[in-house]
Amino acid sequence: MNIALALPLLLAVPLVAVGAIALGASPRKTALWASWINLIPGFLVSGVVLRRGEIFYGPEGTNLREVFPVQFRLGLDGLSLPLLWLTLLVTVAAIGVARADVKRAMEYHICLLLVGLGALGAFLSLDLFYFFSFHEVALIPSFLLIGIWGQGDRTGAAWRMTLYLVLGSLLLLIALIGLVWAAPETARTLDWRVLTETLRAQPIPASQQTYLAALLIAGFGTLVSLVPFHSWAPGGYASAPAPAAMLHAGVLKKFGIYGLLRLALPLTPLGWRELSWIVGLMLAGNILYLGLASLAQRDFRWLLGFSSAMHMGTIFLGLISGTVLGLGGALVLMVGHGLSAALGFAVAGEVGQRAGTTWMKDLGGLATRTPKLWFYLMIAGMASIGLPGLANFAGEIMIFFGAWSAHPFLVGIAAWGVVLSSVAMLRAIRSIATGPVSSALDSKKGSDLNGFQEVWPFALLTALLFLMGLVPNLVLGPARPVLERLIQP
Amino acid sequence: MIRWFCPEVLLVLTGVTLILADALIPPGKKEWLPRLSILLGIALFIFTIWQSGQPMPEVWANLFVTDGLSLVFKPFFVLCLVGVTLISVRYPMGREEVVRTEFLALPFFSTAGLCLLASARDFLAIFVALELVAISLYLLAAFHRSRAASLEAGMKLLVMGGLSTGFLVMGIAWLYATAGSTEFSRIILEQAGRPASPALLFAVGLILTGLAFKIAAVPFHAWAPDVYEGAPTPITAFLAIASKAAGFVLLLRIFCLGAFALDSVGWVFRPILLTMGIATVTLGTLAALPQRNLKRYLAYSGIAHAGYMLLALGTWGESGMGTVAGYLWAYLLATFPVFIFVQELERVHGNADMRHLDGLAQRDPGPALGLTLCFLSMAGLPPLLGFSAKLSVFTALWSAGEIPGLVVGVIMAVVGLGFYLVPIRAMYWEREPDVVPAQRFPSFLVWILLLAGAAQLILGFQPRPLVRLVEKSLAPMVSGNLQGK
Repeated sequence: MNIALALPLLLAVPLVAVGAIALGASPRKTALWASWINLIPGFLVSGVVLRRGEIFYGPEGTNLREVFPVQFRLGLDGLSLPLLWLTLLVTVAAIGVARADVKRAMEYHICLLLVGLGALGAFLSLDLFYFFSFHEVALIPSFLLIGIWGQGDRTGAAWRMTLYLVLGSLLLLIALIGLVWAAPETARTLDWRVLTETLRAQPIPASQQTYLAALLIAGFGTLVSLVPFHSWAPGGYASAPAPAAMLHAGVLKKFGIYGLLRLALPLTPLGWRELSWIVGLMLAGNILYLGLASLAQRDFRWLLGFSSAMHMGTIFLGLISGTVLGLGGALVLMVGHGLSAALGFAVAGEVGQRAGTTWMKDLGGLATRTPKLWFYLMIAGMASIGLPGLANFAGEIMIFFGAWSAHPFLVGIAAWGVVLSSVAMLRAIRSIATGPVSSALDSKKGSDLNGFQEVWPFALLTALLFLMGLVPNLVLGPARPVLERLIQP
Repeated sequence: MIRWFCPEVLLVLTGVTLILADALIPPGKKEWLPRLSILLGIALFIFTIWQSGQPMPEVWANLFVTDGLSLVFKPFFVLCLVGVTLISVRYPMGREEVVRTEFLALPFFSTAGLCLLASARDFLAIFVALELVAISLYLLAAFHRSRAASLEAGMKLLVMGGLSTGFLVMGIAWLYATAGSTEFSRIILEQAGRPASPALLFAVGLILTGLAFKIAAVPFHAWAPDVYEGAPTPITAFLAIASKAAGFVLLLRIFCLGAFALDSVGWVFRPILLTMGIATVTLGTLAALPQRNLKRYLAYSGIAHAGYMLLALGTWGESGMGTVAGYLWAYLLATFPVFIFVQELERVHGNADMRHLDGLAQRDPGPALGLTLCFLSMAGLPPLLGFSAKLSVFTALWSAGEIPGLVVGVIMAVVGLGFYLVPIRAMYWEREPDVVPAQRFPSFLVWILLLAGAAQLILGFQPRPLVRLVEKSLAPMVSGNLQGK
C-alpha cells in the first residue's frame, strides 16, 4: 500500500466525522474518536518525512496548457510537519475540552472539526488554490462558533473577525495571483514547490518583488493580527467559546506565518528584505502597544487575547532575522505559542464555566478551591511569559540570538515585551489564584477538574509544552534543511 | 432533417401546444397540463444538450450561427426554463386565477427568443429575438393581476424595456447608416483596420446603453429591485438569471467576437465598460446591505454580479470572455436554488421578508445548510463554486493590468461577504420566532437545496468540469474568429 495515501486520509477522517455527525452520530464521541484516529495517518506520514525529508500525494507536474491548472496535490516536509502535529494535537485537546452538554451539540462539533480541517488542509496543500481555499473553510465555522456559542459582545466580535479575515484573505489572493503571473508564461503553475524552483531560477524583478511582498505582508499580516491589522483578534478570542479560541489562536493563526515562510521569504527575498523595516515597525507595535494594552485588561479572556496577538510580534522578529537560528526559533515559538495559547484559553474556559465570570476582580482563591485548574493556569502563564523549560522560552531565546546581529534594537524591544507580558500575566494569576475564595467560585463546591475525563486535555498540552521546551530539536531537526533552503540566496 | 427541429422551433411549438391544449380541453380536466409542461421542458433540455451542436440550416446562415457561445448558452437558457416551469407550477396565484396555462406557456416563447439570441449574428435577428423575449416577459411580470405590485412591476418593465429597445433600435439604425450592414461579419470586414468614425462609436454607445438596461448595470439599474420585488417569483428568477445572461451573451457576441471586436472600438469602450463595472459592483454591493426583502436583496446581489462580469468583459480579451461564461453558469447554479426557496417562503409566509429566516437552522437544518452554501458561493468564498468565478475575474483583471477595477472588486467582495452573511446569521443564530407557521416546507425543497449546496461544494473543489465546458466551446471559436479577421 502506498503510504502517501495517509495524506488525503488526514483530511478525510475529519470530513467523514462531520458527515457522520450530521447524519446523527453522537457528536462528542464521534469528533473525539476522529481526532484521535487522525493521529495514526499522522504517525505514518511523519515516519516517512523523518526518513526521507518529504512526502507527496497527488498528480505529478502541472498541465500548463490548461486555463485553470488546479491540481489536488498534498505534501509534507520538515517545516509543515510540526504544524501538522500542532494541528492534530490541539484539535484533540480542543474537542476534549468541548462540553458534551453544549447547546446544539451537533453543529458545534461540526464547526470545530471544520476549523481543524481547514488548518490541516492549508498546511498540507501544495496547490495554491487549495492552500488558500482550505484556510477559508475555517472562516464561516469560526463565525458561527463565536456568534452562536460565544460570550460578551459576540455578534460584533464575529462580524469584525470574519470581515477582517476576508479582507486579509483577498489581499493575499491578489498577491498569489501576482506571484503566479510573475512566473514566465510557459512555466506558470499553481504548485508552490514548482513555483519556488521556477522563480529561484528566474527571480521576479526587484520592483515587482517589493509590492508583491507588501501585499503578502498585508494579507498574511491580517491573518496573524500584525498591528495595525490586529483589532479583530483580542475581541474575537475573548468572545469565542474556549475550543474555538484554542483552535483559532493556537493553530489557524499560524497559517499566516507559515505562508510568509513558504512564499514571501523564498519568492520575494529582495522585497522582503526591503520591507523588513516596516515589518520591524509593525512587530514593535505588536510587542509594545498590545503588550501595554494587555496590562490594562480586566477580563482574563481579553488579556489572553491581547497577549496572544502580542507574541506574534516576537515570531515576526524571527522571520526578519534572516538567520536559520531566528527562523528555527520562530518555528519553535509558533508551536510553543500554539500550545500555550490553547492551554490558556482552555483554562479560561473552565474558569468561566465554573465561576460564571472571567473578570479578574471577581475571581480569587482559585489555588485553594481548584488546585488542578490553578496548576494548569500557572503552566499556561509561565509558558507564555517564557519560563525556561517550556517551549516558548526555547523559541524566544533562539529568536533573540538569531536576530541580534541584524536587529539589535528590536531585540531590545522584544525583551521589554517579555517584561510586559510577565507583569500582565503575573498580575492576572495573582488576582485569580490567590486571595480569599471569591463568592463566584465558592457557590459551587468541589468544582475542580474532575477525574481523568476532564484533566487529560490539559495534561496533554502541558506535556507537549515541556517536551518542546526540553527537546526543541524534535521540531528543529527535520525543519533545518528546509529553513536553510528558505534563506539561501 | 433533425436540424430543422433546433430548440427554438420546438420551444415555440411546445408553447403553442400548451395554449391550444388549454383552449381545447374542457375546464376541470386540465390538472395534468402543469406536469406536462415540466416534462416537456425537461425533454427539451435533453434535446438541446444533445442537438445544439448541429449547424444552422443554410437559409438562416446570414442571421444565425452555431458556435461555442450558442453551445454553452442554449442549454443554459433551457435549464432556466425548466427551473422556472418547476416553480411556476407551485406559484400561489390565488383563487380567482384558475387558468394558468399561459403562465406556463409564455416562458417557452421567451426561451425560444433567448436561444435565438445565443446564436444571432445579425443585429436585425438580435432585435427580433430580443423583442420575443421582452414581450413575453412584460406579460409575465404583470401576470398576477390581483396584486398591485405585480401590475406595477409589469408596467415598469414595459416602460424601461421599451426605452432600452428604443436605444437599441436607434443604435442599429446609426450602425446601418455608417457601416451599410447589420451583419456582424460584414461590419467587421467593413471597419477592420480603419479608425472608428464618430458615427460608429455613437451607434455602439447606443447599443451598449440598450443592453445595459437588460443586465441592470449602473446607471440603468434602477428598475431591477422594484420589478424583481413585484413580479411573480418564477418570473423574477427568469428576469434575474436568463434575461441578465442574455444581455451578457449579446455583449460577448458583439464586443468579444462579433461586430465590434475591433481595436478601434475597444480603445474607446474598454474604459467605459470598466467604469460601468466599477460603478455597478460598488452600487450593487452597498445597496444590498440594508435590504430586508429577499427579492430586493437578490436584485442588488444580481447587480453586483453583473458588475463583476462587466469588469471581466472590460479586460477585452479571450480570458475575459471565458470568465463571463463561467461566471454566468456559477451565478445560475447559486441563485436559482435561492429563488426556489424564496417562492416556498412566500407560500408559507405570504412574503419574502428576511425575518422569516430567523432560526431556520433549528426548524429545517437541510434547507438552511443548502441556502448557506448558495449564499457563500455567491459571496465567492472558497472552496465554493463562486470563488472560482471571482478568482477568474480577479485573474483576468490582474493579467490585463486593470488595478483600479481589481481593487474595487476586492473591497466589494469583502463588503459583499458582509451582506451575504446577513441571512446566514439570521438562520443560524437568531432566536426562532414565537409563532411558527404550521405549514412546513415541502420535502422536495430540502433535496433541491441540499443538492444545490453539494453542487457548489463539488464544483468548487473540482471546477474542472465547468471550466472544461466553457473552455472547450469557447477556445476554438476565439481562434477561429481571429482567423476570420
